[in-house]
Amino acid sequence: MAQLSDITNAVIRTEIEEFIDDPAEIERNVELFAKASAQMQEIAAALLEGDNDTVDQLTRIALDEGIEALEIMDDGLIAGMGIVGIKFRDGFIFVPEVLVCARAMKAGMAHIEPILAASGAEPAGTVIMGTVKGDLHDIGKNLCIMMLRGGGFIVIDLGVDTSPEEFLEAVAEHDAHVIGMSALLTTTMPNMAKTVEAFKDAGLREKVRFMVGGAPVTPEFAEDVGADGYGKDAMAAVELATKLAIEVRA
Amino acid sequence: MTTEDIPRLSGEWMTPRRRFISALFGGRVDKIPAMTLSSVATLEGMEIADADFPEAHLDAEKMARLAATAHENLGLDTVMPVFHSQLEADALDADTWWGEKDNWPATKGHVLDDPDSFKIPPDYLERRSFKAVLGAIKLLRKRYPDVGIVGKVYGPWSVGFHLVGIENWLMGTITEPDKIRRYLEVLLPASMMSAHAQFEAGADAVMWADHANRELCSPETYRDFLLEMHQGVTEEMGGPSILHCCGETTDRIDYFAEAGWDCFHFESQVDPVKAKEIVRDRMSLFGNINNPTILFSGTYDDTYKACMEVLEAGIQGVAPEGSVPLGVKMEVLQALSDSARDYSNANRPDGRLVTFNPTK
Ligand code: B12
Repeated sequence: MAQLSDITNAVIRTEIEEFIDDPAEIERNVELFAKASAQMQEIAAALLEGDNDTVDQLTRIALDEGIEALEIMDDGLIAGMGIVGIKFRDGFIFVPEVLVCARAMKAGMAHIEPILAASGAEPAGTVIMGTVKGDLHDIGKNLCIMMLRGGGFIVIDLGVDTSPEEFLEAVAEHDAHVIGMSALLTTTMPNMAKTVEAFKDAGLREKVRFMVGGAPVTPEFAEDVGADGYGKDAMAAVELATKLAIEVRA
Repeated sequence: MTTEDIPRLSGEWMTPRRRFISALFGGRVDKIPAMTLSSVATLEGMEIADADFPEAHLDAEKMARLAATAHENLGLDTVMPVFHSQLEADALDADTWWGEKDNWPATKGHVLDDPDSFKIPPDYLERRSFKAVLGAIKLLRKRYPDVGIVGKVYGPWSVGFHLVGIENWLMGTITEPDKIRRYLEVLLPASMMSAHAQFEAGADAVMWADHANRELCSPETYRDFLLEMHQGVTEEMGGPSILHCCGETTDRIDYFAEAGWDCFHFESQVDPVKAKEIVRDRMSLFGNINNPTILFSGTYDDTYKACMEVLEAGIQGVAPEGSVPLGVKMEVLQALSDSARDYSNANRPDGRLVTFNPTK
């Protein structure tokens, strides 16, 4: 078993020590970073500091040196974003900090994405995300998207005020099987059910999995509208999408 | 006439307006007020008043009628005509979607990316959103001289969300703090003008909304970007002030009290007992009946019970935590004024006065 001291980067060590409490999460992160190269740890550390220029630079250098795009994504960017998610979930950082880290992630992914796309590497899955019709709240949805991208998913963002038809069209266009719906208003929550119904009417219900979330949404409500899962925060969205993507492939 | 012969006050002897204003300052009341501070417009209310969304947002007469249902049909001590959050933003050229009958308006696109290019239009207070709101306040004042009228202003922080985009704004607090401060500086006069105009039209108090809650930023962000500015606002607003901030705010209520607000309208995530402990007598507290689980999904009895719990905490007035979902039933909302009445009746020690604001 790897030890904290096996991690060479001091920033990463401190982050794990100070901000992660759950023993299982500590173990997972220590394992992950202990096996990552010093260079990857440095990318993750820059991401955690929200330093997009450094992430951009280090990613370019690493690619130039011939390091695999997939390694940079997994051991640098996704690993870093994992700690960001934990810190946000546990209230150590707030939305602005997450946005800044996500911007840094994006700076790195800008170099990685075209390479992965060209190589035909399998993403974790494709997720369609949207805030439902009539609802303009999107901060929560956007955080979920950042974490999903940080978790290796391709995410198609349909934005806010998304009609059932738009969800249907997006699924057809992108050959996606997991759909995430967000709602923050009690007046718009019923539109989740309408979307699920629209997929039933189109004969596509069995081909997709729905996950739902947003502050007023509950697990019971998710069940009522016929969704396949409820996620309480952005970390949960990643776990849920992973589970649903496997389920729907099976 | 001997002392015993003096006719004594008993029961409810204040007008709703006096009651509301006194409670706002933590003063003596005959009954704890039950209020609307943000919107209690509902689909049912729209039928009663024959004033539907979205027309009611831009038509003073319809707006006034719909707002009046709070008093006429729910027995609340206040009325509040600004059902939406677009008043200032729309008059500052934001791209407003006025919504539908069963949905609220919102801003669709963002129009500002440089604080130094921002100007308040010369006809700002004459634009459609203000025409409706100021007109409605005047009508309400004329029709309800005895009822509390609450105005609503979005402060520069929340107007900034609309004009600049909420993510650009929040990220900017870290990446470009000086730019955000500059935005606040140039946007502040627009919010101040809105407040002054609403007072002039006849509002008794203005609720000022700047959403700097835990779901959006740290308490330090409030301290560093808004505290001093809010101190200036409360000093210069010219009338009774209520701060509204959504969500979980327990970790920054102390700062709110230091900003000099007369009252804080708080949400259900905040425990009223704890809030009271923090603010003591520095400002009043109005709130905090939960929207989705109590008012929308719950019954009259659930609401009555929730109201009693916050009243027991010793806050100065009971109100929904925020704009109530449009599908909430009038019958459920009725529990607000009923509970305030029953609680007050049970706590009138000398048969006359309820002196609230006991710091427990
Ligand atoms: C910010 C905010 C706004 C901003 C929105 C800006 C934007 N671009 O998003 C503005 C100021 C514009 C706004 C407007 C309105 N708002 Co608003 N708003 C909020 C506020 C303060 C915070 C919401 C937020 O962003 N939270 C932070 C994020 C990170 O949390 P989150 O969204 O819950 O997301 C997390 C999880 O839920 C989950 N999640 C979210 N989506 C999904 C999806 C999936 C698939 C999964 C798995 C997980 C998941 O992961 C996220 C990250 O952890 C809340 C108050 C509150 N207590 O929530 C009110 C609130 C949501 N708003 C409310 C209201 C009433 C309105 C208005 C109607 C106000 C008005 N009278 O005009 C308008 C509505 C306009 C419209 N048609 O949509 C009410 C809703 C009441 C109700 N339940 O019906 C609330 C609850 C406030 C209140 N108590 O009254 N609002």
